[in-house]
Amino acid sequence: MTTATTTTGTILDAQALTKAFAGHSVLHGVDLQVHDGEFISVMGPSGSGKSTLLYNISGMDTMTSGDVSFAGQHLAELSQKQLARLRLTTMGFIFQHVHLLKNLCLLDNVVLPAYLAGLEPRETINERAMGLMERTGVAELAHRDVSEASGGQLQRVGICRALINRPRILFGDEPTGALDSTAASEIMDILGELSAEGTTIMLVTHDAGVAARTNRVLYMVDGRIVGDREQGRYTGEGLDQRHADVARWLLER
Amino acid sequence: MAKGITPRTDSVRSPNALDATTGSPEAGPVPAGRRRQGGDLYRRMVARDFDANRSVTVLLVVLMMLSVLLAVASAGTLVRLTGAAGNLMTQADAPHVVQLHAGDYDQSAVDRWAGERPDVVAQQTMLMLGIDGANLFFDDVPQTTNIQQNALVVPNTERDLLLDLDNQPITDVAPGTIVLPVIYQVEAGLEVGGTVRITAEDGFEKEFTIAGFARDSIMNPAITSSKRLAVSAADLEEVRAHTGSVEHLISFWLADPDAQTGEFEKAYQDSDLPQAGQLVDSAAFRMFTMIGDGLVAAVVILVAVLLLGVGLLCLRFSFLTAAEQDYREIGVLKAIGVAPRDVKRIYLTKYALLAGLASVLGLLGGWALTPLLTRSITRYMGSAPSVGNWLIPILAALVVFAMLVLFVVVLLRRLDKVSAVTALSAGATGRQSSASRLRLHRSRMPVHLRLGIMDVVGRLTTYLLLFLVFVISTFIMIVPVNSATTANALEFINYMGTGAVDLRIDLRYTDDTSADQFARALDRLSADPDAATITPMVTTRNDTVDKDGNTISLYVENGDHALLPPLYAEGRAPTDSSEIALSLLALNQAGRQVGDTLPVEVGGQTRDLSIVGSYQDITNGGKTAKASLTTDADDVMWYMIGVELAPGADPTDKAAEYTDRLAPAKVADIEQWRIQTLGPIAGQIAITAGASAIVAVALAMLMTALFTRMLLARDAGPIAVQRAIGADDSGLRGQYLTRILLVLVGGVIVGTLAANTLGEGLFNLMFEAMFGGFETLGQGTSRIDFAVNPLLAYVALPAALIGAVAAAAVASSRSISATSISTLTTE
Repeated sequence: MTTATTTTGTILDAQALTKAFAGHSVLHGVDLQVHDGEFISVMGPSGSGKSTLLYNISGMDTMTSGDVSFAGQHLAELSQKQLARLRLTTMGFIFQHVHLLKNLCLLDNVVLPAYLAGLEPRETINERAMGLMERTGVAELAHRDVSEASGGQLQRVGICRALINRPRILFGDEPTGALDSTAASEIMDILGELSAEGTTIMLVTHDAGVAARTNRVLYMVDGRIVGDREQGRYTGEGLDQRHADVARWLLER
Repeated sequence: MAKGITPRTDSVRSPNALDATTGSPEAGPVPAGRRRQGGDLYRRMVARDFDANRSVTVLLVVLMMLSVLLAVASAGTLVRLTGAAGNLMTQADAPHVVQLHAGDYDQSAVDRWAGERPDVVAQQTMLMLGIDGANLFFDDVPQTTNIQQNALVVPNTERDLLLDLDNQPITDVAPGTIVLPVIYQVEAGLEVGGTVRITAEDGFEKEFTIAGFARDSIMNPAITSSKRLAVSAADLEEVRAHTGSVEHLISFWLADPDAQTGEFEKAYQDSDLPQAGQLVDSAAFRMFTMIGDGLVAAVVILVAVLLLGVGLLCLRFSFLTAAEQDYREIGVLKAIGVAPRDVKRIYLTKYALLAGLASVLGLLGGWALTPLLTRSITRYMGSAPSVGNWLIPILAALVVFAMLVLFVVVLLRRLDKVSAVTALSAGATGRQSSASRLRLHRSRMPVHLRLGIMDVVGRLTTYLLLFLVFVISTFIMIVPVNSATTANALEFINYMGTGAVDLRIDLRYTDDTSADQFARALDRLSADPDAATITPMVTTRNDTVDKDGNTISLYVENGDHALLPPLYAEGRAPTDSSEIALSLLALNQAGRQVGDTLPVEVGGQTRDLSIVGSYQDITNGGKTAKASLTTDADDVMWYMIGVELAPGADPTDKAAEYTDRLAPAKVADIEQWRIQTLGPIAGQIAITAGASAIVAVALAMLMTALFTRMLLARDAGPIAVQRAIGADDSGLRGQYLTRILLVLVGGVIVGTLAANTLGEGLFNLMFEAMFGGFETLGQGTSRIDFAVNPLLAYVALPAALIGAVAAAAVASSRSISATSISTLTTE
């Protein structure tokens, strides 16, 4: 096991973060720093608070107490509107079930966040969206309905949507959880490339194989981070070894 | 492929499904003990469902309640109207046929004729002393502008009774007192203890104290132009010595009025008996009596039927939404083997309970509303206590309830199609919505506006309910308002069989002196520089034939019709003595078309006149004609002079002046004439229009609120997705507002178009039924064009509707903020 090392600046800093639902505590004073360019996976048994952590540090949910600062802004001080704007322009989200809007074609789903942000001409947005779709291999599906693509293809579209506003951080909630192993592997290849290009990524996952491709693994139990493993960047070599290492590390928790 | 979005309601509701397993774990007949247990379970499920969708449930109940309420109120109004009208006629022993006669009268001739006829049960003649408006003062106000022909009478004691406000006969009036028609209490606000003064040219003056008000079974409503004022016999004789014109009301009672009236009337008209005046039968009295309140009831029925339609649509929408939310549970229940019948029972119980609650509340509300709607009926006709007054509204409520439940039963058939496997694997959203053909990335519109439009276009069937509601709301808002503006419009005079003039001078033919009075009046008018155009008309009664070949009488107005043209529905005015124009009703009665010929008896000879035009006339029973025939004095019924005043002359002043100078002719400022003839009906239509506009706006708001909430419940997933990627609440609300307003604008446009086509047709059907009876329905006997107030109908009312709906949409879409993104969480 290696300890966490600071790569560059801290993009996200959570201090004593707690979250309770109807009096039942789900997060117990979590402290977490995420640095620019990190590729983090969060693991843990069901109900350990992984997704809750993700939603609270991204401002989608309101924490019960503690402090989260993102790129220097304290989330607790922002209005709902400001939070929405922050998510829109600086964060990208990938969900297990993708959650595309069914009444839009795939390309429309990709351009939507950029249109909502309204920062660039629509032609520019459309071009970038097509570029992203080409890169993820779904360009030929651009004008199809949501019902006309496979799960793996939809998840690629989901990634394009998450990237359209050039976010500073990409959050993923079990992005490969609903995919078969081939599709999951392809998605992880894309995320690995993005990470290599410098995108900060934080994923929640149950799959040690996914965690093996990230460079930092957090392990949560009962609302607390009980393990934090720095394992260096995955370069495409020795995945089985990394997988075995993560699995062993998890067993030790 | 994504399996859809799982609304949070699922995780909340799944315990229901587990409970259900204990209630009815297997298909087939359920043992009694289990059935009881199952009953408890269903009760619990229904109660939980009420709790989960409280606002939607409340709105649905309100809507169903409103349709029951209006059904009950309109049924109550109709049953009370027919009951009260019938009761009034029975209590008063109203005559079956009445002939008004001005001039010499010989009772023995009538007695002889009636004695020979087996169909006549009784005959009675009443002397009526007509008092000119200039000689009649109510609380010191001269009745010169009152278009009613007021006549003093001594009340009958056996038949054709005047009734007091408790519907008890008034047979005796104390000397020095007077009993006035109830219309003067209602419309003129006169009270018991007030004074009525009668004066005469010779300086005579007699003051009466108002002792009470009377209901008159044959002359009650405003559109019956004669009114009977009851005094003592001594007082009548005293007044008669100084002023007044004598008329006789010759009444007949027949053994079988329904079968014998037509034949009797023909026989009377063919006889030499006195007939200088109108012949009216009980069917006409009944119609005149019931028109105004019948109209109100008709509008309420229309609104009730439309509301019921909306209620059913809404019920369907609510059911589909609930079924969609429960899709997975239905699958679970089926998977564990619960019989489809038992699954359906859960829903049937829920909606039957709601409909039952709504029906009880609606029944109570309808009962409370009925007295308001029937206030005028009660005042004019009293109330006839009967079991039907209670029973019919209850039946109406039961019918609506049965329709609601039956509709749910039909809807429930859909559940049969849900297979356990597809329900479970499809997740919560049973339906797969497809993408809209519109594309976001090709649009320049603001994103939320575009998304709103795309959603409406992509899910047209979903928005159909709301669209229909807006169409109906617009319709029930505009049609009554247009009806009211039409009935109140100056141009409406064109449908009363006459062209627009400033003054209308009427002189009834009483005896040979009448022709001289008419000639004198014409001379005086010709000498008056203020009378710019003078149009004399002489109305004669001529025999003609109806479509079955029977001889019938027709009132023919003779004169130069180019000077005073009504609005011709078809063709033109007659220009010489070989031509005739018929009212639409007369045309229908004759079974002829414009261009045909009509045999008319003129001066003892039958001549074939060519029909050159048709026009709308709602006066004199609506069956009139216009021609330029020779007017033999024997056939003359009345004279009329239309006067167009020179610029600057005041109609009211000139009317007063002519009333003095041209007595005994009645002079009316035409606007006054229209207001007094149609005013009370137009007033009732206006009140109904106001009420239905309020109902329409309330309905639209209610449905918008209901629809928006249901839409938000359905769209919980997509809303959460958009919020997650960074859409803010105001933008999301904008999307929903766009959807509602888009549908609203479409609905308002279609509703307005429908109001001006279908609505106008409906209005004309109403007039056809009113003036021609049901047999002329749809025969085109009424062709009134709506006199639309564009500012009101096309700007103010739609703007009010749009404003109200937008407010309702904004208020209801606030709950968008409650949609949590955590819906999307996998944990």
